[in-house]
Amino acid sequence: MSEGDIAASTPVTGQSRMDSAWGSGGGDEVVSANVAQATVESGQIFEQIYQPWRGILNPRWMRNWAILRHHLLGVVKKGHRPWGIFIRLALLIILLASCSDVLLILLAGVIGENELYSMFGVNRDNLYGHVLGFFPRNVLYYPVIAALLVGGMISDDRSHGTSALYFSRPISRLDYASMKFLSIAIILFIFINGTLALYYFTEILVMGRGWSWIIDTFPSFLTAFFGGILIAFTYTAIGLALSSVSKGRFFPGIGLIAVIMGTRTLAAIVNGLFDKTILYVISPFDCVAHVTQALMGIEMTYDHPWTWSLASIIAINGLALYVLATRISSLEVTRE
Amino acid sequence: MVEDLLIETKALSKSYGPHVALDALDLSVPYGATGLLGPNGAGKSTFLKTILGLIQATSGEGEVLGHDIRTEGEAIRSRIGYMPEYDALNPNMDAIHQVRYSGELLGMNPTVALSRAHQSLEYVGLGEQRYREVGSFSTGMKQATKLACALIHDPDLIIADEPSNGLDSSAREFMLTTLETTIRSGQRSVLMASHLMEDVERVCENIVLLHKGHLAAQGRIEDLKAIDKEVEVHVWGHATEFENDLSSSGMRVRREGRVMRIRHDGEETYDAILSAANRSGTQIRRMHDHEASLEDLFLVIMERLGYEIKGSDDLFAEGIV
Repeated sequence: MSEGDIAASTPVTGQSRMDSAWGSGGGDEVVSANVAQATVESGQIFEQIYQPWRGILNPRWMRNWAILRHHLLGVVKKGHRPWGIFIRLALLIILLASCSDVLLILLAGVIGENELYSMFGVNRDNLYGHVLGFFPRNVLYYPVIAALLVGGMISDDRSHGTSALYFSRPISRLDYASMKFLSIAIILFIFINGTLALYYFTEILVMGRGWSWIIDTFPSFLTAFFGGILIAFTYTAIGLALSSVSKGRFFPGIGLIAVIMGTRTLAAIVNGLFDKTILYVISPFDCVAHVTQALMGIEMTYDHPWTWSLASIIAINGLALYVLATRISSLEVTRE
Repeated sequence: MVEDLLIETKALSKSYGPHVALDALDLSVPYGATGLLGPNGAGKSTFLKTILGLIQATSGEGEVLGHDIRTEGEAIRSRIGYMPEYDALNPNMDAIHQVRYSGELLGMNPTVALSRAHQSLEYVGLGEQRYREVGSFSTGMKQATKLACALIHDPDLIIADEPSNGLDSSAREFMLTTLETTIRSGQRSVLMASHLMEDVERVCENIVLLHKGHLAAQGRIEDLKAIDKEVEVHVWGHATEFENDLSSSGMRVRREGRVMRIRHDGEETYDAILSAANRSGTQIRRMHDHEASLEDLFLVIMERLGYEIKGSDDLFAEGIV
C-alpha cells in the first residue's frame, strides 16, 4: 500500500480524515495522473478569404440570352428555372398528342393505307386543323400548355421578390418582358409550328413527294405556319398579362383558359340564339381562326368580314401588351 | 463632381406628384463603408432606386462610381452588388444555380458564373449547403445566399439593405464579420441601410442620415459623435440641488437618477462641476468623458429636428415622420 492509500480497516481518525481530504503526505511524493489522451485530428477550419474577380461582363445580348436560356432549358434540365414535374409531364404528353397526325401519316405511308391517308394526309384543311382545329388542339393542347407555362412566369417574380434579382442588374424592363415573352412563345411555337413542320415534312419523306407537290402545298403550309405564330403570340400575350397582374400561379392559368373558352362560349350562345357571328370578334381564338381561314382560302365558318377579326386580334394583343408593360413597370426592386 | 467620391449628389430631388420623397439632397459619400439611416418614409428606398438608376430624379444631378445616375443606370448596376432586404430568391432552386444565374444576369459567361458562384458561396459560409434548395434554408442562410448573389462579380460597391434583418445572434455575427472582411480585406465599399445602429457602428465608418427626404446628417461617425461631447457624473446626495446649480450656471444637464450627463464646453467644465458639487454638498462618486454611441448621436440629431424620442425604437416608428 502506498503512502496515500487508505485501507477499509483504517480507523477514522483525524489523521485519516486529513489523508482522505487532502491526501497529505510528506509533500515530496512524485504525483502523476493518467489522463485520457484522445487522438483528435484537426478538422478543416473555415477561413474566410475574399477572392477578387477580374473578368469582363458581356454585353446586353448575353444577359438576354441568359434569361431566355434559364426559362427554356428549365423545361428539360435541372439547374435552370424549375418548372415542376407535373408541368413537364403534361408538356411531354401534349407534345406526343400534338404529333398524332404525324404518327398517322407515318403509319399510312408504312402500310400503304389510302383511307388513312385520305383522312390525315397533308391538305389545306388538315394544315389548318393542325394549328387551329378547336377540338382537341385548341381546347386540350395549346391553351393548356400556355396556361401551365404562364402561370408563375411573372407572378412568381412578384411573390418571391426575384424581380429584385433582375432589376438590380443591368436588365431593362423591356429586356425582361421581351425575354419572358419569347420564352413562352418559343415553347408554344415548338408545340404548334414545330409539330406542323414535322407533319408536313414527314409527308414529303414518307410519301416521296416531289417539287411540284411542294410548290403546290407550300403556300398553304406557310399560311398555317403564320396562323401558328399568331395563335402562339396571342396566347402568350394574354397569359403573361394575366400573370403580371397576379401573385399566384392559379389565377393566370385558369384566367387564360377562361378568357379563351369563355369568350368563345358566349359568342357561340349568341350565334345559336340570333344566328349572328359578330360576337366572335371578342374571342381571341376565333379571331385568329377567321384570319387564317381567309388567308388560306378555306371555307369560312364566320359571317362577318375577316378584317374585323384582324382588327380585333390586333386590339386584343395591344391591350394585353399594354397591361403587361404597365404591370412590369411597377415591379419593384426594393420592396413590393 | 469629385472623382474620389463613391456617391455624390447635388440638389437631387424626387417627387411623386405632390409628395416630395427626396428634397434637394447634397450628398458626398466617400469610398469605404457607409451606413444609410433614417426613419420609415425618410426616402431611403427612393434614394437607393435613384442611385441605381432605376427611377429618374425630378431635378438635380448625381454620380455613382463616376457614372451619371440619369443616363448610365446600366453601367452603375454592372458595378454594384445589391442585396435586397426582403426575399429575392427562388425557393425551388439550388443555391449554387441561383447564384450562378444572378451572375449570368450581369453578363457573365455561364461557366465562369458557375465557378464564381462556388467561390462566393464558400466565402459566405455556404460551401457545404450549396446544392440545397433555397426554400429549405434558414433566414441566415438566405441572407448569406443573397450576399453571395451580390458578390459574384466582385462589385466595387455593395448595397446591403438591412443585411442582419431577422438573424439570430450567431448568424448576425457572421454576416457582419463577412461584410467587415469584404470591406477590410476585399477593399470593397459598402452602403448599408439598417435600423440596427450597433451594426452600422460596427461595420461603417461613415453615416448618412435622411429624414423626410432631407439630409439630416452625414460624415464620419467619430466626427459626428464629437459634436455633442458630454461628461458623465455619478453622484450621491443632493442630486437635485446639484442639477439646479449646474443649470443655473448655464450648463446643459441631462439626468437619470444619480447619473447626470453635462455638456462638455471645454476644460473649465470639470472645474465647474466640482465647484457645483462642493456648493450643493454632493458626493461625486465617478466622473468621466462620455463616449456617445451612434444611438446617442441619433437622439441628439432627432431632438434638434424637434422630435421627442426616448430610444431608437421610437426613432424608426411611423409616427414621427
